[in-house]
Amino acid sequence: MNPVFRSQVGLAARRPARLVLTGLALAVAAFVVSGTLLVRDVVQRTVVAQLSGTPSAADLVVGDSESTITREAANAVKSVPGIAESVVRFSTYAELKGAGNEWLSIDVDPGAGPLATVKVVQGAYPKAANQIAVTKRTAERLGLAVGTTTVATFSGREEGDTKSITLTVTAVVDADNDWGVNGYAPQSVVETLPGAEFTQRIEIVLAAGADAQAVQDRLKAAVNAPAVRYKPEPNEDGTVPPGPKETPVRTGAEVRDAEVKQAISDVDELFAVVGMFLAIAIGAAVLVAVSTFRIVFAQRMRQLALLRAVGAGRAALVRALITEGALTGLVAGTVGMLAAVGTGLLAPQVAAAFDKEVLSPGVPVLPLAFVVLGTVFVAIMSVLAPAFTASRVAPLEALRAASTQGGRSGIGWFRAGFGVLTVIGAGLLLAGAVSQLSHVDDEFYDPTVPMLMIIGSGGLAYVALVALGPVLLRPVLAFVGWPLRRLGPLGRLAVGGVGGAPRRAAAVSVVVALGVTLVAAALVGGASMRALAEQELAVAAPADFVVTGEKGVPLPAGSVDRARASKDVTRVLPYRTAEVDIDGTKDEQSQKPWKTEATDIDLKALKAYPQMRATEGSLADIGPGKAAVRKYLAVKLGVGVGGTMTFRKDGKAMTVTVVALLERTPLDVGVLTDAGTMNALGLSAEPNAFTADQAREGAEARNAARKSLRGVGGAEASLTVSLLADQRDDLDKAINSVMLVLLGLVGLTVIIAVVGVGSTTALSVVERVREAGLLRAVGMSRMGLRAMLTTEASLYGIVGAAMGLALAVPYSWLAIASIGHGVPVEMPIGQLALVVLVLAALTALAGVLPARRAAKTSPVVALATDG
Amino acid sequence: MRTMATQLRPEQTAAAVAAVELVKVYGSGDAAVRALDGVSVTFARAAFTAIMGPSGSGKSTLMHCLAGLDRATSGAALLGGTDLTTQSERVLTKVRRDRIGFVFQSFNLLPQLTVAQNITLPLDLSGKKADRALFAQLVNQLGLADRLTHRPSELSGGQQQRVALARALVTRPEVLFADEPTGNLDSRSSAEVLGLLRESVSTLGQTVIMVTHDPVAAAYADRVVVLADGRIVRDLNRPSAAEIADALGARQ
Repeated sequence: MNPVFRSQVGLAARRPARLVLTGLALAVAAFVVSGTLLVRDVVQRTVVAQLSGTPSAADLVVGDSESTITREAANAVKSVPGIAESVVRFSTYAELKGAGNEWLSIDVDPGAGPLATVKVVQGAYPKAANQIAVTKRTAERLGLAVGTTTVATFSGREEGDTKSITLTVTAVVDADNDWGVNGYAPQSVVETLPGAEFTQRIEIVLAAGADAQAVQDRLKAAVNAPAVRYKPEPNEDGTVPPGPKETPVRTGAEVRDAEVKQAISDVDELFAVVGMFLAIAIGAAVLVAVSTFRIVFAQRMRQLALLRAVGAGRAALVRALITEGALTGLVAGTVGMLAAVGTGLLAPQVAAAFDKEVLSPGVPVLPLAFVVLGTVFVAIMSVLAPAFTASRVAPLEALRAASTQGGRSGIGWFRAGFGVLTVIGAGLLLAGAVSQLSHVDDEFYDPTVPMLMIIGSGGLAYVALVALGPVLLRPVLAFVGWPLRRLGPLGRLAVGGVGGAPRRAAAVSVVVALGVTLVAAALVGGASMRALAEQELAVAAPADFVVTGEKGVPLPAGSVDRARASKDVTRVLPYRTAEVDIDGTKDEQSQKPWKTEATDIDLKALKAYPQMRATEGSLADIGPGKAAVRKYLAVKLGVGVGGTMTFRKDGKAMTVTVVALLERTPLDVGVLTDAGTMNALGLSAEPNAFTADQAREGAEARNAARKSLRGVGGAEASLTVSLLADQRDDLDKAINSVMLVLLGLVGLTVIIAVVGVGSTTALSVVERVREAGLLRAVGMSRMGLRAMLTTEASLYGIVGAAMGLALAVPYSWLAIASIGHGVPVEMPIGQLALVVLVLAALTALAGVLPARRAAKTSPVVALATDG
Repeated sequence: MRTMATQLRPEQTAAAVAAVELVKVYGSGDAAVRALDGVSVTFARAAFTAIMGPSGSGKSTLMHCLAGLDRATSGAALLGGTDLTTQSERVLTKVRRDRIGFVFQSFNLLPQLTVAQNITLPLDLSGKKADRALFAQLVNQLGLADRLTHRPSELSGGQQQRVALARALVTRPEVLFADEPTGNLDSRSSAEVLGLLRESVSTLGQTVIMVTHDPVAAAYADRVVVLADGRIVRDLNRPSAAEIADALGARQ
């Protein structure tokens, strides 16, 4: 063994804590990566286990997602010999007039036997015509309990060709697919319903002893016989489009395999995104590891110099230090990987205690081994620069008296030059992006290029921050440390302690900055997306409910009053709509003018009015003779804000001045004006629709509101109650869960940054035992010393947070501004301030343990330490 | 000498500091080392006393115990009538801050603070304002007036030790302990620092106790106490360097 290495390993062995501290960030990274591998494994198995795919009893499957199998072809299958059982998965759908005009899809399922995918939980599975079973959610949502009947309206091929059938609910079932609109019945029942003419899939169970291959061939021939194949209708010009490709017949195993592959590929795509964030976290771990190696080697400068003095070569020193780094990586990688495996094995037990079922991950040996090897590789990469620097120690250093470690604040010419180059690069890219921003209002504006430029510039700016960090640290520290310095000697000492080793402080602060940049960018992005979504929702869902009657006919008398009387709804706002012809337009086929819908709804009375934004002009200007118009229509006519448009209905005309243009309009109308202007069309004064909001928050209040709105039209009238509030909730949930996942992912980097602060503080404390002793000797209390060191640790966090915000705020602002016109830039100032506070607290916490240890040292021992 | 010491009543004398039957044992069992083996001695106010002795004689341990940096195994370490061996860590911290000044061999300045900040550090820690007049006087006397905004790394060894001296004196401590203050200095700087210590005794009435093994340094003192193997073996009044060297040589 290399004697230099032996001496260094001996040193490390005597101080195992330092080895642990050096490798901690790497161990955390290895833990996170191994953990992700295991989670991926669990998710894949869970997906496969819960896959609502083809029943395992199906030996053969006819058709795929591109097939159109006719009823004749399905019938032909029945007569193929060698089949014990078959299910033709017909599907149809109907509108339920009695249940607020909701849609119900009705699919074939045998309900029992090997090919069943649903399970009866209440009642008896339908047998006779016009009987159906519904899923649990559907039963709840549409009020279809066992025994109830509902009128289902099926549409035929031609418009207006409808058929209403009264369906009886005989069972509630558990199904893999339950979207709240799902009904099931046996094939014999579904076949008799309108619309069940084609299917994409027939599942087959072979008779005992049948030759699968022979049956497969016979089936293929049967369903693809020219007589039963789907024949597409000819186009208007007489040409016949090509029919569907040949209907395939696959084995059940084959189909299930493909389904599993598809499901897993979705999982893999998800984890590819996770991998990107892991890469950033690993980058952060490298930065921390480089810094800790530097500190540890600096502390051993005298021993290294001594080795040089007694004749060790520079190369031997480098080899020894790199070997030590590799060893650290091996230990850290193994520890992190084993910790992840241990957690993975414990997770199912812990989950079981909370009544949750989590599959236990397997132990994917090869990938985990790669994690350990990868950690070794990353450790070697991290140790290179510190090892070369340390090996340059002059042998004379060994002979020098212990001196206080004066921190160098300068950076080398090479590093400074590199930093300046990256700053210039970032600036150029930024200038390029900003110049593109002036085109943001153009019709064919493409945000890809400016966005990439901004991301590239941000990346370069971060590299510059890493390179120039030691130079930037003092000014940033002077800024953020100002209030602390005024707090008294402790604060001053803490600020001085951080500023005293600027390279070290910069090394750990830039890692914190990386975490903060990512978190802040995610927060700003999330807040802006939310604001944008709210703007769009204000238009798409201006109220919780919209109640409409028959087209062009006023609502039954008293409906609005009944709605207003209900204590479940509030803000009832009646309005009129009318289908109008647009002057100056002509449809090429029918030679008639275009039609659109005009309304006199009072926008200002809507709950969502404050969030509504006109694309051009102002909605506040709508009034007598003035209207807001869908932008698309105005553009077609070459009319802008200030121009006029005329709309006609039954020979009467309404001319309006356009005061606002909307990309998307509330209630999907084309023209929004006031009641007086609409009177020119000769409409009845009675409203034909109204909007309403639920009176209280919550799902229960929503169901109550919906129920009472369904009743306001009286017994015979069929009013359509559209629930718009659900859209808002869905979007809210979607944004929240995306934000949670995103913050969780960028949180990995923050964790590694905090670990970096902890190990840096711990190592600094070891080095500054002498300083601690002196402070104690001149009368600093233990608590004072603890407070000072903890404050120093939190300063790393605050300085890093300040640097991170300085990067994240302008860049995320620009990135959002570059997305395109109308995307609002929201700065969640409260959340950003919270990030700084949380990081200060986390990093302070990371400093608590080292500070306690330092404060315990007796002043005599501290002063006697060979510094 | 031991009998004489036990009869002393430190409260009633002009003594600033006294050790009474002070014993310090490091380790236990067979490995036990008696660093101090029943030392009794008093140190007069406004006097400059040097503690000498060969390496391992216990001179540093005696100083650490008297200064409240280390706890004695038995006996009493009296500072102006307060027995430091029975005080809590909190009281000791206050004592170190308000009543004692230290000068170390290796200066021990904080690299991140300026000269002025280093000097006022003990006052800052106790939340007291510096006595402007005293501060100015010390700074002038020690020749640091034009160095106040410098950092320790920009100073020579002698200058650094003068900053340490100013830091020790600025609190008007009852006692100033100096641990080999010239150990890291050349002879010119040594003479300068020792002269300043001497002057603080003469002009400010400061009590100074200095540990050293340099007879030349000890010759600046009013009195020299010689330790060997944890006991006091000689007590010299205003000796010359030659007498001190003789006394040490006789022991060895």
